[in-house]
Amino acid sequence: MAALTRQRRFVTPGPDETVEELARRAVPDAPLEAAVDQIKSWNLHVFAMRRPPGLLLGSDVVFVEPPITNA
Amino acid sequence: MFDVIVKNGLVVDGSGAPGFKGDVAIKDGRIAAVGKVTGEARTVVDATGRVVAPGFIDPHTHFDVQLLWDGAAKPALEHGVTCVVPGNCSLSLAPLKIADRARLIGMFQQIEEMPPEAFTEAFEWTWEDFAGYRAAIEKDLSINVAPLVGHSVIRLWVMGPASQERAATPDEIKAMQDLLRECLEAGAVGLSTSFVDVDENGRPVPSRFAQFEELDALSAVLGEFGRMLQIVPEFYATDITIARIDQLAELSLKHNIPTTFSPVFDNAGTPNSVPRQIARVEEQFARGARVWPQMQTRPADISFSLLRPSLFFGRLPRWMRVLRQPLEQRLAGLRDPAIVEKMIADTGPDEGEKLLGRLVLRGGDAAPPELAGMTLSEIAKARGETPARALISLSLEHGLDVAFVSANAGHEKTERVGPMLAHPLVHIGASDGGAHLASFATYGDTGYLFSEFVRKGHLTLEQAVAKITGETADIWGLKDRGRLQPGKAADIVVFDAERIDRAEELPIFDMPGDGMRYTRAARGIDTVLVNGEVAYTAGSYTMARAGVVCV
Repeated sequence: MAALTRQRRFVTPGPDETVEELARRAVPDAPLEAAVDQIKSWNLHVFAMRRPPGLLLGSDVVFVEPPITNA
Repeated sequence: MFDVIVKNGLVVDGSGAPGFKGDVAIKDGRIAAVGKVTGEARTVVDATGRVVAPGFIDPHTHFDVQLLWDGAAKPALEHGVTCVVPGNCSLSLAPLKIADRARLIGMFQQIEEMPPEAFTEAFEWTWEDFAGYRAAIEKDLSINVAPLVGHSVIRLWVMGPASQERAATPDEIKAMQDLLRECLEAGAVGLSTSFVDVDENGRPVPSRFAQFEELDALSAVLGEFGRMLQIVPEFYATDITIARIDQLAELSLKHNIPTTFSPVFDNAGTPNSVPRQIARVEEQFARGARVWPQMQTRPADISFSLLRPSLFFGRLPRWMRVLRQPLEQRLAGLRDPAIVEKMIADTGPDEGEKLLGRLVLRGGDAAPPELAGMTLSEIAKARGETPARALISLSLEHGLDVAFVSANAGHEKTERVGPMLAHPLVHIGASDGGAHLASFATYGDTGYLFSEFVRKGHLTLEQAVAKITGETADIWGLKDRGRLQPGKAADIVVFDAERIDRAEELPIFDMPGDGMRYTRAARGIDTVLVNGEVAYTAGSYTMARAGVVCV
């Protein structure tokens, strides 16, 4: 099977998962508060553009890293 | 004795092969012979100097409701379209319980800009299940229909109000699988889902509450039938769209299904977006996945007046809130200084100069003719107002019937879009036919393909025909359609390659409810046959009703 170029990594929220739980799962090496801030800053489509902001949906793409430079 | 012979045309058979001079003979609704045909026929269509091609297939429409009172999906058929795919974007008219009708109508109203009266005044709603909907439209079809079933309505049927609140349980997912299977057995061509849409209250539609595991389970059912999964991704964000491409590829590979996503817009502000999407699609196809980006041909033009809510105001929630009110309350809101100040605040510190200034007044029954063609910025300056205030005050002075157009808001550069459309993995479609009635005409994209991209040299005639006939049929598994070959269904369009086009966008008043929609007539289309019967010729629709639900 042909290889894929690397793209921005993401996860999808689990049922009833909070942003804190998701941050802990997706960015386990960072302190929780920093991890939550990072998740929020990388996912403005969920945490800024959505009404109500931060409503996590099961189908969401939630990025766990910043945009890849020169992508 | 044949039923019909289409004689002496340039036969472009939908395969992409070079056209050739010849005839197409039809018997019992099917193509009987292609080439130099001898013999007689009850009807002879003279195609001298014309192209004879398979009927066009429009794979992204919302004709679900219109088909209940207009079996030709006008004006799609006169543009040469002989097969439409309704049920996109997670919304279809079945399966749906009676108790959920108002909820679905609200979603159609919000997402597809269709007036609620279209669902309540023009037909008798007699069905709940998919087979019932199929039977209701089949009574009077002159166009073929390959309907998708919507994920949101499947979820709504199984989960009720909880479909817009939470993840499904394993039992609920099993029930959705069973329901989807029933729909596919009843003639659905696949499943549609949406990752972006909200209902009339701003709440995400049911499909967006699904875990990936739910979509995976439903895709497993699609795999039993080899049917299509259509999605609306977050098209405004390239990284998210690429993530969706990867999800679709996973489902395609795992369940051996075709998938497609739309819309795909080329936008001057993000020139690398479509190239990045196509590059990812190429990688996924190389792995064996089938993920078809579906791209429209026409530029993004949006018209509106303050008579109706419009997607133009999607990012101006206070405007949308006022425009959703019944006329009397809407007028009261637009005259209320406190409400107006909040609306003005929505448009930014320059009061709409950047956001609204380039709008062009296109006219309207009550629009001052001397202002037609002027920008709102120019009009505002002349009135000593800011654009946002001028939009409101001018509209109020003329009973709100002053239409503006936001022209060329994307996808407008032929030299960029042409090569994209010609790409072998780009699927041409995404017309949205039958939706966004008061925002833009969703008809004539096929004519525009020829006038703008073939006649300007970006695609050959044969390429363009194949893109919207044979290739589309292959992508969707419509085995009977898309090619002029003996044995195939006789869906045929006869057109003038030098004239085929879409006409000017005009408002007409033929819809239930408040009645207005923008539409475009066809140019250069001589004759359209559906399943061997002449359905449109010489500028008129016939009484033929040979359309079927085709899968």
